[in-house]
Amino acid sequence: VSTYTLEDLRTVEDQCREIAAGELGFEIPEVIYHLVRPEEVYFAAANGLPARYSSARWGAQFDDAYGRYQRGQERVYELIFNTRPVHAYLMDGNSLVAQTLVVAHCLGHAFVFETNEWLGAVDREIMTRVVSAAERIADYMGVYGRDRVEDFLDACHAVAAHQPQAQLIRKARRPEPAQRERPFDVLFPDEVVADRERVAAERANLLKRFPREPEEDVLQFIERHARGLEDWQRDIISIVRSEQSYFLPQMRTKILNEGTAVLFHQEIGQRLFLPTDRYWEFEQLNAVVTQPHPGRVNPYNLGIHILREVMRIAADPDEDERERWGWAGNVDPLEQLRTILRSYDDEALLREFLTPKVCELARLYAFEHVAHDPRRIRISSREADAIRETLIPLHSTLGIPSVVIVDADFRGRGELLLEHRHTGVGLDEEYARGTLSQMALLWGKSVSVKTINARNLDEPVWFTGHPDGRSERSTAEP
Amino acid sequence: MTVVGESGLPHDAGRRDALHHRERVRKKITEQLKERIGEEDIIASGPEKKIRVPVKGTKRWQFILDRGQGKGVGQGDGQPGDILGPPGSRPAPGEAGTEPGEELYEVWLDMDDVEELLFSELELPRLKPKAEADAQSAHTVYNDIARTGPQLDKKATLRENLMRNAKRGRASLGGIAKSDLRYLSYRELPKPREKAVVFLAMDVSGSMTVDRKRMARLFFYWCVQFLRSRYNQTELVFVAHTTEAREVTEEEFFGRVESGGTKVSSAFEAIAQIEQNRYPADDWNIYILHVSDGDNFAADNQRTLELIRRLTETAALVGYLEVDPAGGSRVHKLSAFYEHEAADIDGFVFAGAVDDRELWPALKKFFAREDVQAAVR
Repeated sequence: VSTYTLEDLRTVEDQCREIAAGELGFEIPEVIYHLVRPEEVYFAAANGLPARYSSARWGAQFDDAYGRYQRGQERVYELIFNTRPVHAYLMDGNSLVAQTLVVAHCLGHAFVFETNEWLGAVDREIMTRVVSAAERIADYMGVYGRDRVEDFLDACHAVAAHQPQAQLIRKARRPEPAQRERPFDVLFPDEVVADRERVAAERANLLKRFPREPEEDVLQFIERHARGLEDWQRDIISIVRSEQSYFLPQMRTKILNEGTAVLFHQEIGQRLFLPTDRYWEFEQLNAVVTQPHPGRVNPYNLGIHILREVMRIAADPDEDERERWGWAGNVDPLEQLRTILRSYDDEALLREFLTPKVCELARLYAFEHVAHDPRRIRISSREADAIRETLIPLHSTLGIPSVVIVDADFRGRGELLLEHRHTGVGLDEEYARGTLSQMALLWGKSVSVKTINARNLDEPVWFTGHPDGRSERSTAEP
Repeated sequence: MTVVGESGLPHDAGRRDALHHRERVRKKITEQLKERIGEEDIIASGPEKKIRVPVKGTKRWQFILDRGQGKGVGQGDGQPGDILGPPGSRPAPGEAGTEPGEELYEVWLDMDDVEELLFSELELPRLKPKAEADAQSAHTVYNDIARTGPQLDKKATLRENLMRNAKRGRASLGGIAKSDLRYLSYRELPKPREKAVVFLAMDVSGSMTVDRKRMARLFFYWCVQFLRSRYNQTELVFVAHTTEAREVTEEEFFGRVESGGTKVSSAFEAIAQIEQNRYPADDWNIYILHVSDGDNFAADNQRTLELIRRLTETAALVGYLEVDPAGGSRVHKLSAFYEHEAADIDGFVFAGAVDDRELWPALKKFFAREDVQAAVR
């Protein structure tokens, strides 16, 4: 299909890499490119990783996205995987100019994969595990029936996001209850006795409680402690959980990662000295990639605006900025950028650099859903503070409500109790009940979650899902 | 730098998973299709016979925040206070309006599959073996090959010889041995014993507005699709009537525009005539379906009733569907008359439809599988 050869692509990559390493000063790891048919690109995109186990789940996404591609409604240009070496899929049939942009873009991703600490915490040998997991799941489908395995996979995926993410900072254990000695204890013997009793009771309570501390790793807890699971089911739980852990760091660095990739293709594109018609095509493609998305945020767009803001602050700060950032005005902009790319995730990036200027350039607005019609939105503000207040919490939790296991013997019946650590917004009832029924399939008994009432935030509410698919809501502890 | 020509993945992996996915949503689709049977996109599926169906109820469960209280951030034009249309249909995690996007998505379906799904619940009711004599008139088909027999099959014999030679490394004919000989063999195929004819009669008079005609045609479209796919030996007779009735071709039937008054009896008279001449009840299972807006000449009702009584004696089913998208008063309609006078006639079934969604229930009323009907009762 293509009018260029693999040799042409090699030349393009060499040129881009030379510019990135030379003029821009970025050390970039090896990237292996695969020139693949659209169908394969879309299939790998649906899977998230190539050669993943076969499932109707990916089929649904593939059908959807590939259908839109065939109808000309969207086009994926590239796919890149955080493995060692880095693998990238280029879509066969794209013009050489498009491939040039994509190759430059991929070099940006490869740089972030290599240097960013969050992304470095990922198992980069994941492909060997993925392939072997795919074989085992195919076997299970043969033995236990495709539908049964697919249903079980669906149940696992319902809660796969609830796991601690790559931790750069170790979290402290909750201190055990202990009696404190005070200077005047001897004067108040009754209080000392009462205090001793309180501590003893707390200790006893703690020993009874299981898990001892609220457990964030939902699938792992189920894999270890659910009764009545067969070996193949425990294996599937562990596969889903560990594959998911590959994706979470990418989710938390999406804006940073895409921003860098856009910066790379823009900076390299300007230095390639393409003939006018090709440069025009390059620019058009760049405009498509970075166009704003109404009603949501295009990470490519926001990412590049933030990174360019960092570079501007480094090169040309105003007085306030000089005061706030010691490096402002005293550092090479690209050097400062590299420092930030090493250790920031999206949350940190937004907290520090979502400035009023970025909000204006990216034309951001904060919105609320229209009551009774959640598919429609009302713009509530264009102020940077309001935008930050809304956007940062979404990125600190990746949009995943924090749900932890607090009791594995709820009501003394071996049921599971979860708690939603809310930030002022309750759980969606329909989805909570559906998810809990799925969890009950894994746990083997009913699973409940305690959250807050969506209408009245002071009121607790419990949702419960049962293994037979039923579910209910109650306003008193069940 | 390394550029590799391909991914090394199985080439059909995506399609394979997509097939599994479609299989899983099949059931849900069936349920939803029935409500959408009249929608244009299903019928106007084009020469490729593929349609796009939105599937509800295939949610991907996960904990999400209450959607009513959700806040988010977007990009683009607008002032505070402005209300914007639905936010991006599939927000990525961490973005505005987080809602798992699978609540409603679209699948491409083969029309053949759609029909298979729908028609699996239908059958021609009370289909009886007819004309026992047919067993004798079974006809002989030579469609098999044997090692013995009266009639040599030269082509098959030469092929055997060629294959035997080829196995020994000689690519030519020659040296035909006895083991090469092949004979024609036959099987006796009984003629289909359950012969059926379906009369499709449509009111094309002036009172049938564009909307009513469209519904009538939709209904007959599905009838014909169903009969052709499930009973391809069934004969179809198309009758169009105003105050007069005549047999028409299928094309005329679906394309015809006429005007004039309505005498329903004319249709039944024409059917009775055709039946008598070409489809003796001893040899044929007879089904009659009539669709009208029910605006009959009042003076004709009694005559119509008589004909229905007579036809139900021989026919397995006489069905009447009244289409009235406007849903006006039914007092002077044929359905009101039938309700009063014809409710007790065995083999006479009538139904009404005020919109497209009621066409499927009507079709099912006429053609429901007996076990399904029993279950409903």
